[in-house]
Amino acid sequence: MSARSFDDVSFGDDLEEMKTDVSLDRIKRFTGAAGMTFERFTNHEAARKEGLPGAIVPGIMSQGILAAMIHRWAPGSTIVKIDTVFRAPLLVDSDPVCRGVVTDMNKADRTVEVDLTIVNEANETRVLGTATVRLEG
Amino acid sequence: MDLAALKRDWTGFEFDTAEFEVTEQQMLDFAISCGETEARFTDPSHEDFRAPTTFTAKFSGRRMLPEEFPQLSRRGFDAGKCVEALAPVRAGDRLTGTSTIHDIFEKTGRSGTMIFIVHRMEFRNQSDEVVSIVDWRMVQQP
Amino acid sequence: MIVDLHNHSIKSDDGRAKVENYCQWISKRGLEVDGFVLTEHRQFDGDSDYRPLEDAHGLRILKGAEVETDYGHVLVFGVNEDLLQAFDFTRLDLPLELVIRESERCGAIAVPCHPGRATVGMCAHYEARGAVDGVRVIETYNGGSRGGENEDAIALAERYGYSGIGGSDAHIVSHIGRCVTRFDREIRDEQDLVDALTDGKFEAISWI
Repeated sequence: MSARSFDDVSFGDDLEEMKTDVSLDRIKRFTGAAGMTFERFTNHEAARKEGLPGAIVPGIMSQGILAAMIHRWAPGSTIVKIDTVFRAPLLVDSDPVCRGVVTDMNKADRTVEVDLTIVNEANETRVLGTATVRLEG
Repeated sequence: MDLAALKRDWTGFEFDTAEFEVTEQQMLDFAISCGETEARFTDPSHEDFRAPTTFTAKFSGRRMLPEEFPQLSRRGFDAGKCVEALAPVRAGDRLTGTSTIHDIFEKTGRSGTMIFIVHRMEFRNQSDEVVSIVDWRMVQQP
Repeated sequence: MIVDLHNHSIKSDDGRAKVENYCQWISKRGLEVDGFVLTEHRQFDGDSDYRPLEDAHGLRILKGAEVETDYGHVLVFGVNEDLLQAFDFTRLDLPLELVIRESERCGAIAVPCHPGRATVGMCAHYEARGAVDGVRVIETYNGGSRGGENEDAIALAERYGYSGIGGSDAHIVSHIGRCVTRFDREIRDEQDLVDALTDGKFEAISWI
């Protein structure tokens, strides 16, 4: 993978849309790594007992997934800041899509601002945010 | 609930310090389960092997709120996270996280009246270098 | 003229968009939008001067507010000094009846937004407590709505004979221009907007 240069990027550029794996197995690997023990993330039935429609993807995993999308788009880049809002539960075993688009450019420090969203099958925004990304070159 | 008093009395209050060991396996599991594919995150033999940007968001201190902080509700939820990355986090790092109440504000949303408490954790490595600042927006519902 | 009537900038606690970037986005994507209104949460931004941006991008940038009432959130257009003195914009529990009455008295107009949304939309409150006098216009297309919420808003408008507007409720740059309002006239300033909304000659549009 080659690095993406600041000069190769324009305002309004879309990041490659990314489907992501939020299967129960994947969530369990994440919660294990993150030391999270709440069953609402790993057990549909336990989540329903809490009033949720099913097990939900941890917010910090959604954030990590969006960071991974940025790195796929711009290998070698540095995410200076990433700010995500968990607007609504993202369900485990669903089929979400991650999107990003360049919405600001700062030539002085070679950074771009990226809008980030994760939408569900109904195209409803579940997670949104922004990131400041420093690009090489 | 006197929100102005709550904000005045608690904003900026430092209430916890905790230490965290960063292991190669934690970094790998975090990176791979989030879908990272770059070798600098997924290959321990890479010369720049480092934790993914949002890795420090996984660490919680010993307390979510100060001991004397008024109980606003029995249940809350995580409304968002902001991670500022200032330096790489490496396998073997020993991080010290210091917790403060960064902000308190109130609004209404789909689930009713919500008090947002912004819990900030600043992480320093063993060289006393600030590597990451994580703002955690916790919602409490009175 | 097409105007997006509901947007938030970094002046709002949860807004992440700079106004300049909204303008650039509209130009870059060739959106069929002639202007937009900034409706910051629980405040009116009287200080910012967006005229240079208007000139640079050929867009109309107007200001309103989004306040919080006992019947949900409400957009207020035509905010002036009198209205700022009439009630506390920062309160979470303003009586809707007060907001509507004072807005009209001060030459502004109050428009309940995302009515289909739980708790912060007026549909459920109407079911529980009945209608409020003085409502003329509601937001029938909101860009942040989830399944069925806009449909509920449209049904409410039809039932009570309200006119409907469209607004994106954008908090990030790329969400502007998703729901808009088409007017039969030019909207040059906030007074023109209040007049047009009062006349009822407009149409809500969703491009989602």
